Amino acid sequence: MSDPALLVLASLAGGDKHGYAMMEDIHRFAGVRLGPGTLYGAITRLEQRGWIRPLKSSDDRRQPYTLSAAGRQYLEEQLSGLSQVVRTGLKRLRHA
Amino acid sequence: MKRLARHLARLYPGPWRARYGREFEALLEETNLTWRDLGDVIAGALRMRLKTWNPSSTPEGENDTMDQQATLLRVIDLKDRDIPHGYELESTIEQTRADGSKTLVRQFFRELDFGGSYLTVNHLSRDSEAAQTFIVSGTKGEVAGDFRTDRTEMLVLHADGTVRRNEQTVKTCMKHEAVREKLRETYRNGLKAGLSPHQVYQKLRLEHRPESEPRA
Repeated sequence: MSDPALLVLASLAGGDKHGYAMMEDIHRFAGVRLGPGTLYGAITRLEQRGWIRPLKSSDDRRQPYTLSAAGRQYLEEQLSGLSQVVRTGLKRLRHA
Repeated sequence: MKRLARHLARLYPGPWRARYGREFEALLEETNLTWRDLGDVIAGALRMRLKTWNPSSTPEGENDTMDQQATLLRVIDLKDRDIPHGYELESTIEQTRADGSKTLVRQFFRELDFGGSYLTVNHLSRDSEAAQTFIVSGTKGEVAGDFRTDRTEMLVLHADGTVRRNEQTVKTCMKHEAVREKLRETYRNGLKAGLSPHQVYQKLRLEHRPESEPRA
């Protein structure tokens, strides 16, 4: 899974985070280091689609984000699609 | 390296920086930046500029599968009116993704220009999601080449009554204003010629490259 937007959604599924925390989290769980421009491109798109939203924060520079209900639903749909692909791929490899 | 990254962050469109600039700079300060990151910042800025980002548009990126899903737009209605000191737009646009799912985007946009300062109001809703209102007030600054350095304040009014405030110094491309006027004129002429709002939109998309789209 290397789609930056999906990685951001997966990161926020584990809890609210600001940009740097997302970048570190994604690196830990996916082994992918998103660049700052790629990360904020994904954040921009996801917020515009209503799949994530900014939270009020006392720190006006480190803006935390949270997953919306629509974002959670979209992520679930995408991950179950991916998991079907993984299961099928592994099964075929075993029989090859 | 961090100073260079902050400089490169200015390549992003002004409205984008008004919304995300402070948090993006905070990220650049916290990150142990590499040369690859600097390239990534430049690429990100170019992608935003190609789409001429504004709060209602959808930026595109080659590696994002979701970008390719929301490319089919149908302009259901678009009203354009001149008002004292400016103009306003009201639009209803349907986005259809590759999987057939649709999103209805309703937008009201008003821009007022008072000579030395300006005010924009952008009220936006998507399907049943709560609407958000973006208000930007700007003071025009010095002009250098095609760019003007403005001081802006953006207020984001949320449906729950809360307000988020963001002050920024942004660079505004002067060419966009002339292009926007030309687009509005073309749009009005298309309607006068009997075309539907969507037919005029398609005509504009064919005639104008993305770089020349208005910022609002």
